Amino acid sequence: MSIDDIKILITDDSILARKQLKDIISTLGSPVFIEAKDGQDAIDKYKENQPDLVFLDIVMPKKDGNTAIEEIIAHDPKATIIIASSVGTQSQLKLALEAGAKDFIQKPLNKEQVIGVVQRFLEGR
Amino acid sequence: MYTQFFGNYLLSNGYVTKEQLFSAMRREATQHMKLGTLAMHAGLMTASQVDETVIQQTHQDRKFGELAVELGYMTDEQVLSLLKQQNPAYLSLGQVLLDDGVITNADFEKIMKDYSSSNGISDLDAITEMPEAIHNLLNHFLLKSETNISHNGYMFVELLFNDFIRFIGEDFTPLAVDEVTEAPIQCCVEQDVHGEYAINTYISMDEPTAIAFASRYVHDEFQEYDEYVQSSLEDFLNLQNGLFIVNISNDSNTELTLGVPEQKEGDKLTFKNKTLHFTILYPFGNIDFYVELA
Repeated sequence: MSIDDIKILITDDSILARKQLKDIISTLGSPVFIEAKDGQDAIDKYKENQPDLVFLDIVMPKKDGNTAIEEIIAHDPKATIIIASSVGTQSQLKLALEAGAKDFIQKPLNKEQVIGVVQRFLEGR
Repeated sequence: MYTQFFGNYLLSNGYVTKEQLFSAMRREATQHMKLGTLAMHAGLMTASQVDETVIQQTHQDRKFGELAVELGYMTDEQVLSLLKQQNPAYLSLGQVLLDDGVITNADFEKIMKDYSSSNGISDLDAITEMPEAIHNLLNHFLLKSETNISHNGYMFVELLFNDFIRFIGEDFTPLAVDEVTEAPIQCCVEQDVHGEYAINTYISMDEPTAIAFASRYVHDEFQEYDEYVQSSLEDFLNLQNGLFIVNISNDSNTELTLGVPEQKEGDKLTFKNKTLHFTILYPFGNIDFYVELA
């Protein structure tokens, strides 16, 4: 499956981080982007759009990233969620992976890392 | 982090004006050979290994040489040998100021002597290799302001200066730290750190400075104060605090958490607790950073 056929949900309260992720991923092709600006928004948009891939920040208003992962996974156990956060502590990583996240990218966002994650996802499909 | 304090010394002792210092720092930075460049030149590292090390540096707040050794690209001996080839930054800054006729050789001799002794540094050239020397320098910088600061506080401040260097640019000078009870609100963002070592952090600057700050941070050219510029300030603060809690977690197994960065509105900030004020002078404007002990 090509990148042009998938939907990607990008969740971050920072409009800058959302733009940076979209810009990096867009170098691979033109997926459909859906944006959410907090944890609750991510859950709602996931249910509404059923995206193929989700990028999620941890520190967000309303519901944080970990709560959003749990609720998204409860709705769809097969959801592919990637954490993109500046909080890269071991315990945070453990929490996110236990909640059901598939991968973790530490900010500041690095182009190669983001592309690697998307490519692995596309190859694994 | 060394030249910035040297710049502060030159400025606060009246050897240079702000304009002379910025002009010299800008040119010094272009002459300054980075360790990665030297490693590539010596055939010790490939470009992609240098890139990878620089990325790791932004994620882990560690020295380039230290990471390159850990990643297996260089040995300790090779790093040391490259460090010896690097001109100490203070020396090239001094050279630029000499070339500009801002200081004389006699001035420079006196400056080096006074600066070393006032900061308790025995070997100026070796400073970048010794974490304890940087600690010493930071200690003297903060002590001059009669500020008592904890071990975690040092980690925060050292990281803050490193983050300004890495993400905004080396060409800044920190002014002496002071304690404040209130501050005017300009373009200002707050983020709180919760847990055993709780602090409230604020970054504030005027609009033109924020536009220039964001342009450097994102490597873009912003023309007006918009939501991307505002978001850049939040992002920088979030990055600083995120790395800080990673450092604290690695250092002492203490787990801290972050609040959501928030834009501050109104005329002024009023601090309830002891608050340290850091002023960072860049050629494009002044940045105020506040740390309130919660």
